[in-house]
Amino acid sequence: MEFRGTEAVSTATADPPARKQDDDAPPERRREPHAWLKLALPLAVAGIFLLFWDVAVRVSASDIFPRPMDVVRGIGELVQKDLLLKYIVASLFRVTWGFGLAVLIGVPFGLFLGWFSRAYQAFNPMIQIFRPISPIAWIPVAILWFGITELAPIFLIFLASVFPITVSASAAVQNMQPVYLRAAQNFGLSRLQLFRRIIFPSCLPQIITGLRIALGIAWLVVVAAEMIAVNSGLGYLIIDARNAGKRYDLVVAGMIMIGLIGLVLDLLVRRLETFDEVRWGYANRG
Amino acid sequence: MSLRNTLLFFFAGWFLAISLLQARLNPESIRGLQDYVRSFRKTTGVSTDQFKIGFLPVTCHLTCPVTDFINVQTTGHGTFEPVRFNSWPELKEAYLAGYTPATFILAPMAIALREQGVPIKIVYLGHRDGTAVMVHKDSQIYRMEDLRGKRIAVPNRYSNQRLIFFRALKNAGMTIDQIQLLEMPPPDMPAALYSKSVDAICSGEPFMGQTELDGYGRVLWLTKDVWPNFISCVLAVREDVIATRREDVQALVDGIAKSGKWLDKNMANRMSAAQFVSKNYYMQDPRLLTHVLSKPPDRVKYTRLSPLQPDFEEIEALGVESGILKGTAHFADYVDPSFAEAATAKVEAWNFAGPKP
Repeated sequence: MEFRGTEAVSTATADPPARKQDDDAPPERRREPHAWLKLALPLAVAGIFLLFWDVAVRVSASDIFPRPMDVVRGIGELVQKDLLLKYIVASLFRVTWGFGLAVLIGVPFGLFLGWFSRAYQAFNPMIQIFRPISPIAWIPVAILWFGITELAPIFLIFLASVFPITVSASAAVQNMQPVYLRAAQNFGLSRLQLFRRIIFPSCLPQIITGLRIALGIAWLVVVAAEMIAVNSGLGYLIIDARNAGKRYDLVVAGMIMIGLIGLVLDLLVRRLETFDEVRWGYANRG
Repeated sequence: MSLRNTLLFFFAGWFLAISLLQARLNPESIRGLQDYVRSFRKTTGVSTDQFKIGFLPVTCHLTCPVTDFINVQTTGHGTFEPVRFNSWPELKEAYLAGYTPATFILAPMAIALREQGVPIKIVYLGHRDGTAVMVHKDSQIYRMEDLRGKRIAVPNRYSNQRLIFFRALKNAGMTIDQIQLLEMPPPDMPAALYSKSVDAICSGEPFMGQTELDGYGRVLWLTKDVWPNFISCVLAVREDVIATRREDVQALVDGIAKSGKWLDKNMANRMSAAQFVSKNYYMQDPRLLTHVLSKPPDRVKYTRLSPLQPDFEEIEALGVESGILKGTAHFADYVDPSFAEAATAKVEAWNFAGPKP
C-alpha cells in the first residue's frame, strides 16, 4: 500500500514522449561545470563524520569503542587473513539467492494480484499480516526447516524481500492509467499482447522502485539472517566479533563493509532507472 | 543494450559468478546443502553420519573443541562435527529440530525440555565451576549484601548462573525481590558493565575474565565460593540416538572424559588448549582463555564430570523455587549415567603433547 503514494502520482502524471524531449539537452549543460561536486560533497560529509567520530571517542576516553584508524587496521587484519573477500562473497551469495527468488516469485504474483481484484481481496490481508514480521522472529522456523545450512539465511532474506516486491508490483498494476488500457482495447490487443506490451512496460518503473527498496531490506537483514550458526558472512563477522572479547573494531568494520556494499548495490539498481523503458516513469521528477 | 538483455546478461552472470565464488571460498556451505538434500533421501536405517554437536564459545564447553582438535591431530579426522553457535536460543532450536543430535546445554534448560516432553538425556557434565560474578572496579559492591537494589545481568532464565543467585541470596539472608535480575547474551555483558548500565554481570568464562583483563572488572565472587562444584552446562543427547547409536555416544563421552582429564592434568596442557581452541574454534584472543584457565587454576575444572543425583536434585529444587521448573522430571528421567560410568572406569587423559608445528 505504502508504495502507491508518491510513485503513483509520478506515474500517473507522466506524459512520456513530451517530457523526454524537454529533458534531453538542458540538464546536461546545467550540471556539467559542477560535476566534481557530486563526488566532493559526499566525501566532505564522510570526512566530517569520521573526524567527529574520532574526536568523540578521544574526548570520551573510551577504550571499548574503536577509533576510525582501529577499524581500518581491523579491516586490514581481515584482508591479511583472507577473510574479508570470503565473508563478502558469503553475504552476497545469500542475498543474491534470497532476493533473486523473491523477485521470481514476488513480481509475477504481485502483477497477478494487481490485475485480478478478487485475488487481491483474498490474498492481501494475509500478505499484510506476514509483511511486518521481522526475519528474526522467523529464525526458529528457518532452523526447524533448513537446519544450519545456507538455506536458512537465504529463506530469511527471501521472506524479508518478497512482500515489498509483491506489494509494489500489485500496486503498480492497480495504479496504471486507464487510458493505456482503453487505447489497447481500441487496437484489439489479445490478453497476452496486452500484458507484454501494455501492463508490464507501464508497471516497470514502479516495480523497479519496489525492487530497489526490497534490495535495501534484503541487505539490511543480512546481519539477522547470519545470526544462525553459519560461519561466514559480514553479519557473522559482527556476531563473531562480539563473541571474541573486545573486538569492537571488527564489529564496526563489519558495519562499514555492509554500508559500503549497500551503497554499491543501490547505485547498481539505480542504473536500471536510466534505461528508457524505466526512465519515462520518473521523467517528471527532474 | 536494451533493459531486457542487460538484465539477462548481468543477472545470469552475477548468479553464476557469486555461486562459483561461494563454492570456492566457502566450500563447507555447499557441503552443508548436499547433506541437507541427502537427509531427505534417507528414509530407513540408522544414520551413520558424523554427529553434529552444538556448542558455544565459552569455557563451559571447552572439552568439545579440545576433543575434536586432539582427534583430528592424532587420527586425522574427528569422531564428531562440532557446530559453533552464538547464542542459546539457536543452539536449542537446532537440537530440537534434530540437526544436532547431541549438544552442550544449560543443565536447567535440559531439565525443562525434559519436562516439556523433549526426548533428551544428560550423559555427561561439561565442567565444574567456571563462572564468576563481576562488578565494576569503581563500585562500592564488596559483599552479596551490597547488591541490594542493584541490576545484575545473567545469561538466560534457564541458566544456573541465575539459580546461583537464589542460593547466594539465601546464604546472605536476602530475597529475590531485593535484587533485579535481567537476561543478556554473555558477549554483551562486558560492554554493559563497562558503561555501568548494569551493576554486576554473571556468566560463563571467558566473558567475565575479559573485564578483568581490560581493567574495569573486579571479581565479587567465583562460583566455587558460593556453590562448590557448580555445574552450568551438560552434554545432552537425543534418546533415539542413545537407543540406536550407543557405541558412538560412548565414544563421544569417552573423548570428552579424556579431554577433561587432559585439561586438568597440568597447566601446560591448559595453556596449549588456550592457544589452539582460541585460534581454531572460538576465534578469540588467546589471552582470554589463558587468563581464565590459569588465574586461579581452579576457576574452572574438567574432572569429576559424571552426573550425580544430589547435584541435580539441588538444581531441581532451585529451579522450582525460581519458577523455571515444574518439578515433574527427576534424575532418572533426564539423566543416563551409564555412559559416564563406563567412561570413568576405563578412560585416561589423552596422550597428547600439543599441536604439531
